[in-house]
Amino acid sequence: METARRSGWRLEAALTALIVLLAILSLMVGPAGLSPKAALAGLFDGEGPAGIIVRDIRLPRTALALLIGATLGLAGAALQGLLRNPLAEPALFGAPQAAAAAASFTIAFSFASATSLVVPFAGIAGALVSIGGLVAIAGRRASLTVTLLAGLAFASFAGAMTALILNLAPNPYAALEIAFWLLGSLEDRSTDHLLIAAPFCIASWVLLAMNARAFRALTLGEDAAASLGVDLARVRMTVVVGVAIGVGAAVAVAGSIGFVGLVAPHLVRRAVGSDPARVLLPGALAGAALLTAADIAVRMLPAADELRVGVVTSLIGVPFFLAMIFSERRLLAGTAS
Amino acid sequence: MSAAAILRAAGLSVRLAGNLIIDGAALELRPGELTLLIGPNGAGKTTLMRALAGLIPADGSIELNGRQLATLSTRDRARHIAYLPQGHIFHWPMSVAAVVALGRHPHADGFAPLTDADREAVGRAVAATAIEPWAARAVTTLSGGERARVALARALATQAPILLADEPTMSLDPRHQLVVMELLARAAHDGGAVLAIVHDLTLAARFADRVLMMERGRLVAEGAPREVLTPARIADVFAVEATITDSAVGPIPVLRRPI
Repeated sequence: METARRSGWRLEAALTALIVLLAILSLMVGPAGLSPKAALAGLFDGEGPAGIIVRDIRLPRTALALLIGATLGLAGAALQGLLRNPLAEPALFGAPQAAAAAASFTIAFSFASATSLVVPFAGIAGALVSIGGLVAIAGRRASLTVTLLAGLAFASFAGAMTALILNLAPNPYAALEIAFWLLGSLEDRSTDHLLIAAPFCIASWVLLAMNARAFRALTLGEDAAASLGVDLARVRMTVVVGVAIGVGAAVAVAGSIGFVGLVAPHLVRRAVGSDPARVLLPGALAGAALLTAADIAVRMLPAADELRVGVVTSLIGVPFFLAMIFSERRLLAGTAS
Repeated sequence: MSAAAILRAAGLSVRLAGNLIIDGAALELRPGELTLLIGPNGAGKTTLMRALAGLIPADGSIELNGRQLATLSTRDRARHIAYLPQGHIFHWPMSVAAVVALGRHPHADGFAPLTDADREAVGRAVAATAIEPWAARAVTTLSGGERARVALARALATQAPILLADEPTMSLDPRHQLVVMELLARAAHDGGAVLAIVHDLTLAARFADRVLMMERGRLVAEGAPREVLTPARIADVFAVEATITDSAVGPIPVLRRPI
């Protein structure tokens, strides 16, 4: 186990190094290309056009990519741990869908621009309402199945509300703006967006990370975990709330960004010996790296308009995911139950 | 036999979804004793064991060392009662060593790594069950018999004074059934209070220090195997015609046909 721990820290160090490189690259890339030196000078001196571009435009965008990517990766890893299922993903309990519906409503009917600060607040409110409703209906000590079914109902309802809002949008521009917003983007996000999302994301990290040992015990099933002293009702509640506020805040500021939460934990799971507790930190780091890489890609890929990052996360995530599934067919076969 | 009971249940009743599953059970578990719980399917054996493990609410009294089980913290309870559920479930392909270390969960604090005491307990459990050769292997790649031994090692690693095992020999080949029963007997004779559910009456006759027989939510017989496992009781409770035959390993029931 000592060797596993050492190699684990090496994994986290490598991911951190990758994130630093990606962050620097993210500060360099855009309509005005900057050299690494110019980007770092702009970041630390803040002088001249490079300073404005890096500090006011690219730094918030990069920080948001890291924050949201880490939140999605951690949320996915935590839910997979709670449910003992490698297919679990953050949208499972309906919070991101509720955030998207509330944000769409604001865009459609208050004529707020998609980058206005009203949108993230509405999105977070939507996510909180959906968790409140979920807890009220499923009950504080509900079984996992009841919580999942109630979450599915909330997700479907929120999806229908979003469709209804698109359907009833007062004009085609609003509908188009919602449609693009829903694809997920970090374009034109400011420090304000970062400050709105960060408290929720960090609260979510705390709630999820404190259940790390419970996830590990849950590999033996709920009865054995309970017999080892895990308070299942408390674990379920903190994970559902933690995922909802983190992912709700992420969707509220950046729109729907799929696949990061599902795929990031898988990219690192093998390296931590499939330990559902040890996968949390590298899962979050991999999520941050994945989303930052995708956000760099949207700015580099030649296209008439900037591609939406939510589109690209799936485009670059899927090949990784398929390669991982292919190489671990045998081990994964043992986890299906 | 004279040791004081460590776990004592009296007037224990459990209702699940409105149905009375356990009806006024009374039993004691004593250190140094392997108690085997037998009874037909649906008799309530698993429910009784889950209630004794503190996993489901029950009416009546369960005392652990004279203290009501329900008043203990979950962690305190977990340090005293190790529970091995049916089926030997492992959801993730974790290494065998990491799985056995899970038995130390009730002893660990926050994110602290394993202590020397933890390592020693894990080492003993691994040695007792002879699973060292697979320590680094993913547990999901093991055979059923190998998994059963890893699951038992996990429960032993807690070093709890009470071990509750729900059908630990289920779906094992004859050799592994004997291996598991011998491990449970050794855990008991090393001072543990061990309660296990088994379906095989021959195993019960051979290994039990004491047999509890359960029928439709009630404990209907308790005592040494030769007192409890009589042809009349086997016919009554299991609806099976049986004779008791003396063998090289003691008297064992031979089951003839369903009644």
